[in-house]
Amino acid sequence: MSDAVSTRLPLPVLYAEREVARKAPLEELASGLLAYAVVAGSGRRSRRLANIVPRVNAFDTEFRALSDDALRLRARQASMSLRRRRGFPEDSVAECFAVIRELSDRLSGRRHYPVQLIGAYAMIRGYLAEMATGEGKTLTAALAAGTAALAGMPVHVVTVNDYLATRDAELTKPIYDALGLSVGVVIGGQSLQERQAAYRADITYCTNKELAFDYLRDRIILGQRAGNLRLKIEGLQDATPRSTRLRLRGLHFAIVDEADSVLVDEARTPLVISGEAKGEISANAAREALELAAALQPGSDYLLLSEQKRVVLTDVGRERIADFAEAHGKEWRGVIVREEFARQALSALHLFHRGEEYLVRDGKVQIIDQHTGRLMPDRAWTDGLHQMIEVKERCKPSARRTTIARMTYQRFFRRYTHLSGMTGTARQVAREFWTVYRLPVVTIPTHRPRQRKNLIDRVLADEEAKWRLAVELIADLHARGVPVLVGTGSVACSMVASEHLANAGLPHLVLSAAQDSTEAAVVAQAGELGRITVATNMAGRGTDIHLAEGVENLGGLHVIMMERHEARRIDDQLAGRSGRQGQPGCFQAILSLDDPLVDFAASRTFKNLCLALGPVLGEGPSRWLLRHAQRRAERVHAGMRKDLLASDEKQSRTLAFSGRPE
Amino acid sequence: MAKSLFSSSWYRVAELKLKLRRHAQIHRQQFRGETWYVLQDHQTGRFHRLSSSSNLMISLMDGRRTLHEIWDLVGRRAGDDPPTQDEAIHLLAELHASDLLQGELPPDFGELSDRSAKQARNDVMNKLRNPMALRLPLFDPDRWLDLTMPLVRPLFTIYGLLAWLALVGSGIVLAVMNWSELSSDASDRLLSAGNVALIIAIYPLVKTFHEAGHAYATKAWGGAVHEVGLMLLIFVPAPYVDATSSTAFREKWRRMVVSSAGIMVEFSLAAAAMIFWANAEPGLARAAAFNIMVIGGVSTLFFNGNPLLRFDGYYIFADLIEVPNLGTRANRYFWYLVQHYILGITNIDNPASAPGERKWLFGYAVLSFCYRIALSLTIALLVASKLFFIGVLLALFTVFGTMVMPVFKGAKFLFTTPRLQGQRGRAIALTGVGLAALAILVIFIPMPYGTVAQGVVWIPDRAEVRADTAGIVTEILSKPDTIVSAGTPLLRLEDPGISGRVALIEAQRHELQLRYEAVRFSDRVEADVVLEQIKNMDGVLASVRQRRDGLVINAHEAGRFILPKATNLPGRFLNQGDLVGYVVSSATPQLRVIVPQSEVDLVRARTSGVEVRYAGETGKPVRAHVSREVPAAQYDLPSLALSVEGGGTVAMRSGNDSNGKPRALEGLFVFDVSPDQPGQHLLLGSRVFVRFDHGREPLIWRWVRTVRQTFLSRFNV
Repeated sequence: MSDAVSTRLPLPVLYAEREVARKAPLEELASGLLAYAVVAGSGRRSRRLANIVPRVNAFDTEFRALSDDALRLRARQASMSLRRRRGFPEDSVAECFAVIRELSDRLSGRRHYPVQLIGAYAMIRGYLAEMATGEGKTLTAALAAGTAALAGMPVHVVTVNDYLATRDAELTKPIYDALGLSVGVVIGGQSLQERQAAYRADITYCTNKELAFDYLRDRIILGQRAGNLRLKIEGLQDATPRSTRLRLRGLHFAIVDEADSVLVDEARTPLVISGEAKGEISANAAREALELAAALQPGSDYLLLSEQKRVVLTDVGRERIADFAEAHGKEWRGVIVREEFARQALSALHLFHRGEEYLVRDGKVQIIDQHTGRLMPDRAWTDGLHQMIEVKERCKPSARRTTIARMTYQRFFRRYTHLSGMTGTARQVAREFWTVYRLPVVTIPTHRPRQRKNLIDRVLADEEAKWRLAVELIADLHARGVPVLVGTGSVACSMVASEHLANAGLPHLVLSAAQDSTEAAVVAQAGELGRITVATNMAGRGTDIHLAEGVENLGGLHVIMMERHEARRIDDQLAGRSGRQGQPGCFQAILSLDDPLVDFAASRTFKNLCLALGPVLGEGPSRWLLRHAQRRAERVHAGMRKDLLASDEKQSRTLAFSGRPE
Repeated sequence: MAKSLFSSSWYRVAELKLKLRRHAQIHRQQFRGETWYVLQDHQTGRFHRLSSSSNLMISLMDGRRTLHEIWDLVGRRAGDDPPTQDEAIHLLAELHASDLLQGELPPDFGELSDRSAKQARNDVMNKLRNPMALRLPLFDPDRWLDLTMPLVRPLFTIYGLLAWLALVGSGIVLAVMNWSELSSDASDRLLSAGNVALIIAIYPLVKTFHEAGHAYATKAWGGAVHEVGLMLLIFVPAPYVDATSSTAFREKWRRMVVSSAGIMVEFSLAAAAMIFWANAEPGLARAAAFNIMVIGGVSTLFFNGNPLLRFDGYYIFADLIEVPNLGTRANRYFWYLVQHYILGITNIDNPASAPGERKWLFGYAVLSFCYRIALSLTIALLVASKLFFIGVLLALFTVFGTMVMPVFKGAKFLFTTPRLQGQRGRAIALTGVGLAALAILVIFIPMPYGTVAQGVVWIPDRAEVRADTAGIVTEILSKPDTIVSAGTPLLRLEDPGISGRVALIEAQRHELQLRYEAVRFSDRVEADVVLEQIKNMDGVLASVRQRRDGLVINAHEAGRFILPKATNLPGRFLNQGDLVGYVVSSATPQLRVIVPQSEVDLVRARTSGVEVRYAGETGKPVRAHVSREVPAAQYDLPSLALSVEGGGTVAMRSGNDSNGKPRALEGLFVFDVSPDQPGQHLLLGSRVFVRFDHGREPLIWRWVRTVRQTFLSRFNV
């Protein structure tokens, strides 16, 4: 490691990232049309990439005979040839792959399968590799990351949580060490120096959130003066140039693990860094506003749109506010100001509830992340809403916070000069990967044929019937010693599952989404004989479930899905928990018409129709209804992402006078 | 939804220190009692209308204060309604789009070139989208105008105005005095080939004066004119000047004078031409004067003066009612109404802000839309009749631009706009139901379908009662308006000469008879001669007797005896063959109906019933049937009452044909229609309205047929 660091060349361009291409007219339309062709070309690309396998194998006999030192020397040579030529020539890549495979074999006995070579080569080529779950994506990523790092590019391997980042880094570190490459890990709670050190490493393992926020903080430092030359001149003339405060070294080569979660699911909400604002709402005005809000009548004065978290004032309500404002101080002057006050007070009273959206701890209002259910002590709502809630909870109002930087994942990942990714489920959003990130999806064949049995979905009339059937089934499986994984959609659902199982006297383990190593350990052991594990989709992601002795003969792990997720992909991820690497397994969904997904306009009618048709047509209509609800959710979320991207681009255009967006 | 005071992107602009570029200037103007500020960009010649809070904000931008400071200041000063952060950003973005902002940041050259490329692309697209109005800028006339300004300066004074009034006034007086001469076959003179050439020569000249009027008026009050060019209006070149700098004038009457200067110049030209025309001898110069009058007086009023077209009249009108940017805002207001009241979008700004603007905006939006479509389709058809391919292309283009594109845009709006969040279902349902209802109405619901034609109550020849012999009417033997049987005496005439003649001839015959008796046995030869003379005399006598008997006019057939002017008939002298009255044989008169060529096919093929309404009692339809149809087309009318001049619908050719009869422009088909029930008081020759019923048919097929016929008749396709 040490010799590599000492010989490392400085980066030719400081804080390099891909120049944002201006959109040509009709580009959007064209890329939308082209996307069909790109998606259709997935199989062809995969076959072409397979050419790498014989070229790597050609080195096999030679490398097996080499000593460790000689192998390392070959790695240095391959590195040189990669650096000398642009664009990852196939022969050099094959040589690198061969070296890394040989090293991995010698260090841990894990020799890359051909499909892993293909997957890694796809990422080197800037594709998104769709590899079935359990195909060893960590090891595949090491192949690509090692090669890119040998080519002199700082590599970011992006995963979904801190545990996975740490684990993957530890798992692959010996290989990088042997190659003379340094590895860094960025997780939550690290200091600036730790982060800088981690990002300075050749290969950095990090989570999408930390990475994007670190980049955003860098952008705040860089501001509008981010040019390569400017930074270099600053480095020459300033004692402490801004570059010393930067965390990253630019956006060069990214490998995004679980790319659909990171690039699609999480791309719905923008990342925001907020700071203290100058103007503030006085506690007095806030108290008055809350008084007013309490006096207003729902229905006649205002309407609550809880789904959109919005309050709409009626004309009657506006008049009442105007009357109220006349009787109060100058802070209430102005139509817009006073209605803003009233709306925020109403939201604070009726849309945000203690215990659901926030908690009060140490006299402070702390937000609960709706996605993970965890507290986020350093976050605050903007535009005075936070203060309003603080006053409502009788806390001391903090300074008003306002946005100081904002970023979307779409904008962020598009700035990488080289973006690649891998995931188990990419097909269904392949078009989006292309239109948004210009990532063509390549479907990599499985190493061994899949042996999972997918049983037909059961859809029951209500929750009670669903759980009755599920518990019966689990008890039966448990009696036979088959390990069962009960997949739920939320922590709350896990709790319900646990209750039902406990009532039936079934021993089981429940996992909430703590995302740590103990959880991973529990998930890893879910394949033990007779084990019952209840987990959300989030829990223990990326962890292999090894089947215990004899389980294979019982039919492998039996996964039962209790709720449909918001996208088919996520259902597939759960199904992917069983039947890894050609092992047997079984997947079954036990659902009910009370599923939270089936909650849209006119859903009541559909439900009744399904119930009425049940005796005649069986569960067919109900299955269709649930699938329809899921498609609807997929469509809604896709729309949200598209809107976010469109509004982001529109804003960039509108705000062109304020310079480049961060 | 109400506006929010704060914007999530305010952080991007809060710390910027901006100021307005030097070449921007702000003018204060009044519109409908409200004060507005007009920002003039001297570089591009564009204008932006600012509200007073926007103006305050821009005025505070001095390059030292940050935008956040300014926003705070404005918020404190603006009183009731401070601009929201989003509004402030929007304002700045607009200013930036016009390159009016200067800040400490270097300009983003990528963005600049991007924007200019987009601008260039838009210009090209605009030209392509509007091939009927291409503009080709030529040169900058500002200095030349400055040099010549002293020559025309006196015109822009009260004396100039009085002189103009005097000139135009005398022109009008002369025109009224010579009206009959002016209007007599004016259309003939105008469209003759030689005159068209003259018009083509004169038109650009007149328009050059017109544009010079605009230019000098602009200069007269301190504006600048930096562009003169050629505009191809429907491929006809006409000059134009860029007088937009007059928008900055504070007084509305000055802006109006600039807009109307062109028309005023043309009027004075027309008046001068009128004076010349009235005093000159016929010749080329007089013809030219006539054409100048037509161009400067009539065409100017209808083209330049029309507020529905975007020419002078539009600007005059907009300034007059103090609704700036009338056309654009009218359209926006119309869509606002649709979005607000039909789609139920609440978070949308009403573009009509000033009092009393709404009715103008709404009226203008609807009228100008209809007018524009009608006009462009007319132009397209006109062009198509000469250049078929281009014309059809133009027509398709027009239909695409005015019908298809808006529908497409509307659909896109309906499905994608974030404004409809939460109400999209309702909006789509409502639009869908509306469209479906319209579609059902047009495509499926059969509507009563018929062709309405005009005809006259027709008198068959045999029904006429004519005087067989000349004579004076002495007695009316049968009561008019009663039913008479065949042979009934109707009128008695008297010819005093004729009875005498009968007596004379009878006497002469008697004399011959006696002579015959005398020579019968003595001189055979003589007797034969006399016998022949007697025979001759018998013939003469018979004919004279017949004439005498003819003095009693009898009915040829049974029928209703109709005698117009019955009261002044006795004592009147009638020539032989004069029409006296009628005996209409049956109680159901024939109705002769003419159907134009374009509708004859339908009438022939699909008439399922006929309904007649008499001119006297249009409220009472009478059932009828077609008794006879003439298979060939004809050009002459059964009655001149059916021509346009006679109050009918058939356009006639000017001038008569070789037989001296007026001819119709279009081929006509004659149908004879008989009412099923006898009519009561039928005026012969009176107008009838006949409706040939074609059953019921949905509207769409009729439209298809009409379009096909239009193409068939115009282009022979």
